[in-house]
Amino acid sequence: MTPNATIQWFATGRRIFRGRWLATLGLAWLVLVVLAAVFAPLIVPFDPLEIDPVARLTEPGAAHFFGTDHFGRDTFSRSIYGARMAIVIGLGSVLVALLVGGLTGMISAYFTRLGAFLMRVVDVLMAFPALLLALVLMTLLERSVMNTVLVIGIVYATTTARILFGMTLKLKNEVFIDAAVCSGAGHASILFRHILPNLISPLLVQASFIFAFAQLQAAALDFLGLGLPPEVPSWGNMLSESRIYVTRAPWLLLFPGALIILSVFSMNLVGDALRDSIDPRFKNDIKGV
Amino acid sequence: MLGYATRRLLALIPTLLAASLLVFLFVHLIPGDPAAVLLGDTATPEEVEALTREMGLNAPLYLQYLYWLGNVLQGDLGTSIFFGAPVLSVIADGAETSILLAVMTMVWIVILGVPIGVVSATRHGTWVDQVASGGAMLFASVPTFWLGLYLILIFSVSLGWLPSSGYPSISDDGGLANLRYLLLPSFTLAAPNAALIIRLVRASMLDVQREDHVRTARAKGLAPWKVATKHVFRNALIAVAAAFGFTFAALVSEAVVTETVFSLPGIGRLVVQSILRRDYPVIQGVILIIVVLYMVINLLVDLAYAWLDPRVSLK
Amino acid sequence: MTLNRPLKTILAAAFAASMASTAYAGGTLRYATVGEPPSLDQHVVTSDLATTIAHHMFEGLYTFDAANAPQPLLAESDRLENDGKTIVITLRKDVTFHDGTDMTSADVVASLKRWGEHGSRGSLLFSNVESVEATGDHEVTIRLSKPFGPWKNLMAFINGGPAIYPASVVADAGKAPISPENYIGTGPYKFGEWQANRHVELVRFDDYDSPSGAADGYAGERKANFDALRFIPVPDVGTRVSGLQAGDYDYAESIPGDLFADLDANPQVTTIVNGGPLFGLVFMNSKDGPLKENFALRRAIQTAIDKVPALQVAIGPDKLWRANGSFLPKGNVWYTEAGAENFSRGDADTARSLAKEAGYNGEPIKFMVSTNYPFHYDTAIVYTKQLAQAGFNIDLQVYDWATLIKKRAEPDQWDLFFTHHGFVPDPILISVMNDNYPGWWTTPEKAALKAKFTESADPAERQKLWGEIQALIYEQVPTMKTGDVYTYNIASTKLTGLGEATLIWPHFWNVDK
Repeated sequence: MTPNATIQWFATGRRIFRGRWLATLGLAWLVLVVLAAVFAPLIVPFDPLEIDPVARLTEPGAAHFFGTDHFGRDTFSRSIYGARMAIVIGLGSVLVALLVGGLTGMISAYFTRLGAFLMRVVDVLMAFPALLLALVLMTLLERSVMNTVLVIGIVYATTTARILFGMTLKLKNEVFIDAAVCSGAGHASILFRHILPNLISPLLVQASFIFAFAQLQAAALDFLGLGLPPEVPSWGNMLSESRIYVTRAPWLLLFPGALIILSVFSMNLVGDALRDSIDPRFKNDIKGV
Repeated sequence: MLGYATRRLLALIPTLLAASLLVFLFVHLIPGDPAAVLLGDTATPEEVEALTREMGLNAPLYLQYLYWLGNVLQGDLGTSIFFGAPVLSVIADGAETSILLAVMTMVWIVILGVPIGVVSATRHGTWVDQVASGGAMLFASVPTFWLGLYLILIFSVSLGWLPSSGYPSISDDGGLANLRYLLLPSFTLAAPNAALIIRLVRASMLDVQREDHVRTARAKGLAPWKVATKHVFRNALIAVAAAFGFTFAALVSEAVVTETVFSLPGIGRLVVQSILRRDYPVIQGVILIIVVLYMVINLLVDLAYAWLDPRVSLK
Repeated sequence: MTLNRPLKTILAAAFAASMASTAYAGGTLRYATVGEPPSLDQHVVTSDLATTIAHHMFEGLYTFDAANAPQPLLAESDRLENDGKTIVITLRKDVTFHDGTDMTSADVVASLKRWGEHGSRGSLLFSNVESVEATGDHEVTIRLSKPFGPWKNLMAFINGGPAIYPASVVADAGKAPISPENYIGTGPYKFGEWQANRHVELVRFDDYDSPSGAADGYAGERKANFDALRFIPVPDVGTRVSGLQAGDYDYAESIPGDLFADLDANPQVTTIVNGGPLFGLVFMNSKDGPLKENFALRRAIQTAIDKVPALQVAIGPDKLWRANGSFLPKGNVWYTEAGAENFSRGDADTARSLAKEAGYNGEPIKFMVSTNYPFHYDTAIVYTKQLAQAGFNIDLQVYDWATLIKKRAEPDQWDLFFTHHGFVPDPILISVMNDNYPGWWTTPEKAALKAKFTESADPAERQKLWGEIQALIYEQVPTMKTGDVYTYNIASTKLTGLGEATLIWPHFWNVDK
């Protein structure tokens, strides 16, 4: 990145977050989560999978900052690795949702005949409540990180397709698109070089909300026993495994619970701040929370 | 208006057919054998096979679908493998809980969401607005099962104010007082979903304030709160109507989790249990009904929206 | 602020309502179950949950006393003739079915025949039965092809056992479970209603004639004190615990070991430990895959595992588990230490060399486990670690229970799978003795010993033979026992008459609140 671009980048950031101290704190928290995820092996005092029957259900203390679970595994180490899973799930779902849903939406708006059919399919899928669709799909597939990401991504692909469909339609009638058509640009060029760049910032907003929702969906799937494989240290699995310990070992629910809430809350705050900064034409297309 | 409604209704038919095919396929691709689950640990493979044949689960898939669809069109959703009772009656048993839960959740959402949205809008930009919006967003960030667990712990186990779980029908002993069983679950469901209503009410209020007649009213020296009350009702209603369709899907989804945490005999828990038991007819029936309901509710919402807000064109 | 008042009003109203209607369940026992039973038909269903409900409603000819010895229930007396090949059972004359008719030998014969033909455990006895006849209004004669030692134990075991139904109900009933409107038995409670997903309710049978004698286990006097027993499915264990503490249930079953200390110390909660332990079993595939007929490799796996840490992790407090290698617990007549020295060696080095001798080269070994039972999963995690340390390449496959039982029926899908087994009064009922049970243990050595075991009627000889079978299990390793687990239930302290321990399934006659 050139110095100039960096400066511009910071300037945009300052414009979006100025006066929004809560959203700024949220951003800071998210940066912390990313750092924890990246440097997890350097941070953790214990192997997150190491079983120690002698030290099971230890209260938080100097050795185990967040205590231990019923396997005697270190909750702090698992929480740090949980940040990794949170990011994998979030980014993965965003990627699937934006690729599948985004393409479907844009193509549908651009090629109207194909679009009529595609959007009907999206309509049908949207009639399936998100978690129910995810539940059935997860029962079909095996419990794995990949499948969880795919399923959550597909669930949010439908809303993304709808949103992109609407926004592309709006752009399609703009003068500069007509100009591009007149100058002989191909379909792909119009879609990806003229329309897409205008949709980058609303897409970013949508991505941030999907990232946040995906965390809650994944946790709900984990809770119902149909999410990530149970041995994977994710915040949802940690909560799900420990729900019987709510009075016996409260730390097992408080720490991962707080981590999920803080991260989802932060992501929502950032998404909200981003939404306020985008083109007012698209503002009401993205529901978020 | 009538023409618009008819057209929308007709357009539902192909969508519903496609949805029914999807429902059927999803459910039948699930691995696991209902006959094996039903017969239990000591059954021999021959017994399992015999029961599979008896239940008609060995016919080609497209025949099973056509057969099922034909029956559905006659109002017969089949027989639950697990309960041995008609699917429709199994679902009807759970319907009371789910409907009342949904209604009470909407009540919570309205009594929490509308006032907070109005206050946020009238105090636009102040700390009140920030706290209200931030608080709503915080609640929207809490996993429902986590919230439910702590509500049970606080209000049932520690304080003993409200029942922890289960729901005896209001036709059972106790009558309407049995609704108290649904207070915690409906709040658990409402808390994360109130945020959307708050934002919509707030946004539509702010829009209204920019409109000419409101500015005139202000200029005439009417107090802001009077302006708010005068215009809030209609706009709040529009916002709620618009959000209802969207919220419905979220409610059904989250009801699956909430009904599990609070052990409510509703349709959400029925789906989860039926998936675990591989009770195909029940899974199919419930999902089909929910999908149809979702589409009908969305249609009604659109119609209501058109009726409430004359600016919507009926194209 | 603006919200305070309505919120307060609602809470106050709810509070008042909950106060006003505490009398709502006065004569009803509310029991929080782990789920919904598949059916209550005792002939064909072996679910423990079904029996917990159904044994208030259905009775057999015999039942167990506190020492797990069979005692007459609907039978009055019996005698063996013809060197033990003929059993003559005299029935009680005062027994009335819930539909008002009297129980006669015709009902008993019809019930025994259906159970023998279609019942889950019926073929164990009936493969030796030549005829079942009514030889009087209240006398039934069973003729056997050869003497069969465990007949009375099998008859007393109501789970998948010979409950007595009216002849009119069983006459046309085949393999399919009989439907709820035909739940007619002789027990102190009769069928009330079954609301799918909500509850199963039994109501007191006012014309019940109790067997005589002091209550002893399931035997002796049975007095129904509650107007109704309501079994409410509460699948989430946390909800069962908090629901009982909040007073929404009087009794809740299957509570995790780790909560035992807290609940035991809680003055509002009674803990009832089950007298008969259940035990985990890791079955090995005898039909297909690397473990087929490779007994040396199986012994290597057995040698690698130390059962104690798994029990600590999966169950918790020492009081609730025993690292016991005998298939039946200490104190039981079937207790034997034969072969049990190999129960829990936890010797990775020996295991590694044994595996090498058995020709093991790191092929993946598929280990199936379900998360529906947390103790299965927890144990499997610990075993997988231990086996990995001994050089085994374990491919742990985690499924939900329905998928697991589907897959285990297919021999090419697995090498090991995890399940558990309830307490049984006679070893013949243990699943590994069944040749058709997944794992398919059918070696000639087993067949020979099993034949001798069932033919003998001499208790001492049968005990000795069981010791030999258990030793064979540790040698051929068709399955690995993981240790005894004493599950426990919790009850409101308002309940009286529960006793110190549950025999097998909790019962609520002679219980009051």
